[in-house]
Amino acid sequence: MELIWDGIREAFRLIFTGNAEVYEIAFLSLAVSGAATGIALIIGLSIASFLAFRAPPGRTLALSLLNSGMALPPVVVGLVVAVMLWRTGPLGQLHLLYTPAAIVIAQAVIATPVVTALSVVALQTLHPKLRLQVLALGASRWQAAWLLFREARLPLIAAAMAGFGAAISEVGASMMVGGNIKGSTRTLTTSTVLEVSRGNLEAAMALAFILLVLVYAVMLTLTIVQQRRRAS
Amino acid sequence: MAVGWLALVSLAALAVLSMASCGGDDLVIGVSTSVRDTGLLDELVDEFKRQRPDQAATVKPVAAGSGQLIELALRGEVDILIIHLPGAEAKLIADGDGIDRRELMHNFFALVGPPDDPARAQSTLTMAEALKRIAATEKTFISRGDNSGTHLREMALWRQAGIDPVGESWYQESGAGQGQSLLVASDKGAYTLVDSGTFVVFQERLELELYVSDEEPNQYSIIRVNPDKHGVNEAAALAFAEFLTSPAGQRIIAGFGLEKYGEPLFVPAGPGSDSEPAATPER
Repeated sequence: MELIWDGIREAFRLIFTGNAEVYEIAFLSLAVSGAATGIALIIGLSIASFLAFRAPPGRTLALSLLNSGMALPPVVVGLVVAVMLWRTGPLGQLHLLYTPAAIVIAQAVIATPVVTALSVVALQTLHPKLRLQVLALGASRWQAAWLLFREARLPLIAAAMAGFGAAISEVGASMMVGGNIKGSTRTLTTSTVLEVSRGNLEAAMALAFILLVLVYAVMLTLTIVQQRRRAS
Repeated sequence: MAVGWLALVSLAALAVLSMASCGGDDLVIGVSTSVRDTGLLDELVDEFKRQRPDQAATVKPVAAGSGQLIELALRGEVDILIIHLPGAEAKLIADGDGIDRRELMHNFFALVGPPDDPARAQSTLTMAEALKRIAATEKTFISRGDNSGTHLREMALWRQAGIDPVGESWYQESGAGQGQSLLVASDKGAYTLVDSGTFVVFQERLELELYVSDEEPNQYSIIRVNPDKHGVNEAAALAFAEFLTSPAGQRIIAGFGLEKYGEPLFVPAGPGSDSEPAATPER
C-alpha cells in the first residue's frame, strides 16, 4: 500500500520537475496510439460501412471473425509483425523494425478489429432506409457517409475509445516490434515493464499512474465530444 | 467512395513509412537482459552516442534472453551481441555466424536463499554440493526456465550435482527475467541462482542471503555477426565493439554501480579498470 503512495508521489515529482525523458515517453505513447487509432478508424469505418450498408453475403462470418479479432493477443500480433519486418522478412527492406512506425502498425492491427466490429453494430442500429433516403435527397456518397456517421456518433466514438484503449494499454507487441529503445521506442507501458524488471518499483508505479492520467484525459475529451448536445 | 477510402488508407500508410525516416544502416545490438536491467546498457550506449554522433541516430539496442539472441544472430537480425552463453558462443563462431569474440566483463553466479537457510547451503563449499542438499531436503528452488545464460549455467550445475530436478514438485520455473525471478524466490522463501550484479541491485528488496559463489565467472562477451554470411552493418558494429573494449568503455563498466550500490556490478575484462576488485580469471 505504501508503494502506491510512493508511486503517486514519484509520479507528481516526475511530472512537475519537468523530467524530459518522462515527457518524451508519454508523448510517444500518445502519438503512437493516436496514430494507430486513426488508422484503425479509417480502415474500420470503411469495412464497417461496407458490411453494414451493403450487407454482402458472408457478413455473419466476417463479423464473427472481427469479433474474434477483438480478443487478438498483442504478443501474437507483435510476433507476426516482427517476423514480417525482420531484415530477412518479407517487409525487411522497409527497415521499420524497432521504430515508432513499427509500434503504430502493430497497435493498428490490434485496434482495427475492435473499431470495426463495434462500428458495424453502431451503423446497424441506424434505420436501414436512412441511407437510401439521404442519397435520394441528393447527397453525394461522401455526404451520406458523413451524415450517417454523425447519426451514429455516440456508439462510433465509443468504438474509437475502445480502439484507443486497446492500443495504448498493450505492452507485448510494443516490446517486440519496438524493442523498448531509450529515446526512441520507449512507451509508457514498456518502460513500466522495464522499471519493474530493474526493481525500481516506485518509478514503475509512477509511470503507471501517468499512463492512467493520460488515458483519462483522452477519454474525458472524447466523452465530452460524444455527449455534447447536438448543434441544431 | 471506395476509391476515396483507398486514397486515405494509402495516405495513412505513407505517413507511417515517413515516420521511419532513419532506416537503412541501423546498428542493432542484441543485449542480454541482465545488462539492460542493471542499467549499464543505457550508460554504455549514451556514451557511445556522445563519442560517435554520426552513429547516434541508428543505434538500436534490443534486450533479450541469451538463447533468443543466438537465434537472432543466426538469422542476421542483429549486428553485434553482448551475451553470456559460452557454449553457444563457441558454436556460433565455429559455424561461421559469429566473428571477433572479445571478452567484455564478468561477474559471478551465486546461490541465494532464505535467511533461515533450511537446506543448510551455507556450510557447503561448492555449488553442486549446495544443490544436492536442496534436492535432498526438497526445499523450493526457482529456476529461470528461459534458456538464458543464467538458466543454462544452472542446468550445468545440476548436471554436475548428478540431479535431474525437472518435474520435481520443489523445482519451479518462473519463466521470467532475472529481477522478477529474484522477487519470486524472495516471496516464496526459495533458493535460486542469480548473477552477482543483479543481486546487488535487488538486494534491498529481497529477503534472500548469498550462500555459495560459483567457481566459474559469469563471462560476458561481445560477438559480431559475420558480415560475409549475413547482411549486417559491419562498420557500425566494429565501431561499437572497439568502443566497448576501449579504455573509455571499460572505465564505464568498472565504475558502474559504485556510486549507487557501493560496489561495482561487473568487472571489466581489459585495461582501464584501476578500481577492479578481483583479477579476471583466464578461461
